[in-house]
Amino acid sequence: MTAAIDRRTLMQLLGLGAAGGATLGLLWPAAAQQADAVTIGWPSDVPSWDPNQRFTPEAQHIYKLVFDQPLDQDPKLALVPALIKTWDMAADGKSLKVELRDDVVFHDGAKMTTEDFRYTFFERIKAGHAVDTKNSWRNVSDIEISSPTQCIVKFSAPAVTAPQWLAFMGSFVVPKKYMESVGVEKFREKPIGSGPYKLVDYQLNTRMVLERNEQYWGPKPKLKRVTIEIIKDPSARVAALQSGQIDLTINVPVREVVRLEREPTLAGEINPITRVMLLQCRNDQGFADQNIRLAAHHAIDKAALSKAFFNNAAVPLSVPVTPGTPGFPADYKFAYDPDKAKALLAKSGFDMNKPAKITFGSTNGQFPSDYDIARAIQQMWKKVGIDAELETIEYAKYFELNRGGKLPDAMLYSWDNATGDPEIFAGYLLNTKMPFSAFKDPVVGDKIAPLFGVTDYQARIQGYKDVVKFAVDYGATIPLLQSVQTVVRKKKLNYEKFGNGWVLANTMSWS
Amino acid sequence: MLATVLTLIGRRVLLSFLILFIVSVLLFIVLRALPVDPAAMSLPPNATVAEIEAKRHEMGLDLSLPQQYLIWLSHAVSGDLGNSIQFRRGVLGLVASTLPATIELAVLAMLVASLLGLAGGLALFHVRGTAKEPALDLGTVILLSLPEFLWALFFILVVGVALRWLPFTGRIDPDMRLPVTTGFLLIDSWIAGRPDIFRSAIEHLILPSLALGIAFSPAIMRVLRSSLIDVYQEDYIHLARLRGLGEKHILIRHALKNAILPTLSLMGVQFGFLFGGTLLVELIFSYPGLGNLMVDAVRNADLPIIQAVGLTYCIVVLSINTIVDSLYVILNPKLRLR
Repeated sequence: MTAAIDRRTLMQLLGLGAAGGATLGLLWPAAAQQADAVTIGWPSDVPSWDPNQRFTPEAQHIYKLVFDQPLDQDPKLALVPALIKTWDMAADGKSLKVELRDDVVFHDGAKMTTEDFRYTFFERIKAGHAVDTKNSWRNVSDIEISSPTQCIVKFSAPAVTAPQWLAFMGSFVVPKKYMESVGVEKFREKPIGSGPYKLVDYQLNTRMVLERNEQYWGPKPKLKRVTIEIIKDPSARVAALQSGQIDLTINVPVREVVRLEREPTLAGEINPITRVMLLQCRNDQGFADQNIRLAAHHAIDKAALSKAFFNNAAVPLSVPVTPGTPGFPADYKFAYDPDKAKALLAKSGFDMNKPAKITFGSTNGQFPSDYDIARAIQQMWKKVGIDAELETIEYAKYFELNRGGKLPDAMLYSWDNATGDPEIFAGYLLNTKMPFSAFKDPVVGDKIAPLFGVTDYQARIQGYKDVVKFAVDYGATIPLLQSVQTVVRKKKLNYEKFGNGWVLANTMSWS
Repeated sequence: MLATVLTLIGRRVLLSFLILFIVSVLLFIVLRALPVDPAAMSLPPNATVAEIEAKRHEMGLDLSLPQQYLIWLSHAVSGDLGNSIQFRRGVLGLVASTLPATIELAVLAMLVASLLGLAGGLALFHVRGTAKEPALDLGTVILLSLPEFLWALFFILVVGVALRWLPFTGRIDPDMRLPVTTGFLLIDSWIAGRPDIFRSAIEHLILPSLALGIAFSPAIMRVLRSSLIDVYQEDYIHLARLRGLGEKHILIRHALKNAILPTLSLMGVQFGFLFGGTLLVELIFSYPGLGNLMVDAVRNADLPIIQAVGLTYCIVVLSINTIVDSLYVILNPKLRLR
């Protein structure tokens, strides 16, 4: 009775169902739409309403509506002032002088000051609150307050990307007085921020309702009310959009976007964002030989993958950095060249009749078309003389397998970096001191570690450009594609596109 | 009769504790054997290997498996099922806040399954030996072969998307607010004197409970039909006819009362499966119950939640079995004599 169904089949069936619904021609004008309100179908809930607590990329879009970050990013990802008006990093990278705005109030009317800033980035961490920010701000040795709007953040070690982190995950200023008076648990139940919207209702795993903060210091949002419905299944989100229960949703299958674009009232977009798909490589076992690693890279037709799975919208990558971000070396290309792959394999004594054998892992359902991409790569490798044994690996198992040295030789992986800074691309992905890199040869890691202390911005960026080129030429990583974010919305609903995929309700309006 | 039932419940409760203990051990071993690293999962992306090791020590993951289990057990018996890795909140609170939604859905779905099953069973029995029997039989086979998720898709497509008669996400309309008293919306809305919310909750429950209930009804139909056929071979049915009792009277007062026993037993077993079936249905309908929580937990390797939800399912199934067995004793005089 409880017949098993895999996610792929479920999604196909739901998609088919939604398509059928549309073709019945029984749809009538949208029900969710109101002039000053929007209903969004979101794929996941926030882990909690303490914005410093857990780094979850998809929750950042929501936190940014209720809370403010010290710095912000414009649609092209350049750092721009937010709560912080001006900032100045010392030459040694060990102190950051900041000046806050003096016109910011929290939702309870209390003024936001440097006391709140200090509490968020120093006192909470020292007090032992269970917050992820204790890792991102672990090097903060003190925050010296000189006035309600001025302070200096002191670091125990150079923190050259501190400004980027002030606009990144978890960096939301929380009200000290309120949180101390009610406690963290009560704060999570009734959160207060200084953001463009106030939270008025929240039901776990169901929905959240936000109302415009009329005292907001920044540009006033056009929409007065935002309802976010948590709908985890992508095709259920499509069905909700088609039935008029929601006005916009994200992360639906690419083929659904293509189909929905044909509907007169809907618009669909496939936007490249600052997320990379790549193969994390080992430097031993089947991939101990550099020739095999490089041959594996040359054998992959990334443009074909983009065409097959992302309607050509996913940009093929030569380095694990997305185009348009500071650390992207535009002059570098790693060629798709099956003949070169065969030649490299021949050097190591392998050919079609005597293929090199490697193990290959992929998640299934962690990001769009992941397992299908892995199967396509497996076939591409077969054509040059690499026999890959493909296995499915749960994303949650990645760290444990990597820690125990049990990852397959190549592992399909996805990496998100909303800041676009190269430290959070190669600096983390290929850093052997962090739990992500499967490539344990220090020849790459040793080139990355010093870059964490380079305070000269241009030198640091150039350093990362050089190191990613080296890492690719060395066969330490096989970048594949720039990920895309899909958005489907009512045609009359406008929103601002951000390079990192933020979909923010405070930028939305009806036309 | 009361003493017999109480004795049975007492035995069942004792046995349930033993089963629960065994299940908890098995769950603990299976979850710890998975190649996932809860320590790494509970830390942000920029955590170093050293920080992960420290976290592992803090979580007690460097202890032996029996030591880890004993620590977990000692906390569990005092009501502390640990903290969620993902939510960093007490697991007990998370389970308690989502369980009522799932119970509400499962009970309504069981009601649908029972009503359809009993009606269908009677109809099947009624047409036995006639030309209509093969057609109705085929109908039950088709119903039996369609799982709950297909019904869910069908209802979303037809009733939700095309006809737009009923909502298919969440528990109530977005603009409705209701203070939580019991967590059961159908009860809380009455306590708060809000018939509009009661109606909305029913509307939101119709499609998921139909999807779940219809899928489980054919088995009930077929068992009831078979039981009725067996019962009608018994002497007391012939005697009733000889006494001049009408067929309707015989069916309701004599046959159905006895035929319902195996059906009831099946319904108890079915409820266990049905409760498990809520997982997929909740996901499809974005229904915020225990199943949805479990899906999140599995995706995020949130072992404390998986463990707690697994145990909750076990407790629910054991409780239902106890209730059904008690009903069985109440309805069957032969069992009371043993």
